[in-house]
Amino acid sequence: MAKKPNLEDAALDMTPMIDVVFQLIIFFVVTLKMSDDKDDTIKLEDGKHGIVLTQEELPPSQLTIDVAKTGRVSISNITLTDKMLADKIKERKNKYGSDFPCMIRADHRTPHKYVANVMNVCAAVGVWKLSFVAIQEHKAK
Amino acid sequence: MARKPQENPKADLTPMIDVVFQLMIFFVVTIKQEDIFSKLNANRPAPNASSSQSESNDSQVRIDVGPGGLLLNGRSMSLREFDRNMKELSKTSKKATVLVRCTMNSPHRFLVNALDTCYKYEMYNVSIFSM
Repeated sequence: MAKKPNLEDAALDMTPMIDVVFQLIIFFVVTLKMSDDKDDTIKLEDGKHGIVLTQEELPPSQLTIDVAKTGRVSISNITLTDKMLADKIKERKNKYGSDFPCMIRADHRTPHKYVANVMNVCAAVGVWKLSFVAIQEHKAK
Repeated sequence: MARKPQENPKADLTPMIDVVFQLMIFFVVTIKQEDIFSKLNANRPAPNASSSQSESNDSQVRIDVGPGGLLLNGRSMSLREFDRNMKELSKTSKKATVLVRCTMNSPHRFLVNALDTCYKYEMYNVSIFSM
C-alpha cells in the first residue's frame, strides 16, 4: 500500500521563527540610522587633539552644517541657500540661545571662501562660537 | 480522533536557523564601523570686526593659512616646524590669543591642522578671520 503523505506534520510550529524575525526587525528599527542624513562625499581632515564627539557632545540642540568641496552647503543632506541657513540658525538661536553647539563639517579640500561664507552667516545671526568636525580616530574600512 | 500531544516533540528548527544565518550574514556585510570624530572650537568675530583690535596685546600668536601651507607670525614653515614652534610658544604663553587668518583659496585642511595644533598645546583661545 502506498504511504499517504503525512499531513499531520505539515502544520509546522512557526512561532520561534516569527519571534526571531520580530526581534530582529525591532533591533533594526531601533539601531539603524538613516544613512542619508549627512553628505557622504565629505572627507574630513584628521584632528587627533580635538574634543572627542560623544553622544553627550551631540545634544538635540546641536546643528551640523556640511560644506562639500564644491561649496554645497547642507544640513541633513538638504541643500541650503544662505538665507535658508540663516533662518535655520536663527531658529536654533531663538530656541536654545547663542551658545548651542554649531558645528561645521567641511571637506578637507573645500576652499576657505565657502567655509568663510558659512561662518559669516553664523556670525551675522549672532553665533560666534563654532566648532569644526575632524577625525579623531579612523575606524571605517 | 483526538490528537496526541507527544506526536511531534522535535520541532523542525531548520527554517529558524536559516533565517538567523541570513540575518547574521546581512549584519556582517552591511554594518560598518564609524570613525571617531572630534571637534575643534573657535570663535568667529562678527564680519565687521577687524583683526587689529587686539594687535597691541603682546601675548598673541598669529597664524596665516595660505593655499600652500601655514605661516606662524609671518614665517612660512612646514607642518613639523609649525608644530615645534607652537610647542615653544605654548610654554611661554598658553593663554595667548591665537589669531588665525585664512586666505579665501586655502584648503580647509590647513585650518583644521592649525586648530588641531593649537588644541595639542592647549591654546584654546582661537579666533578665525578671513582675508
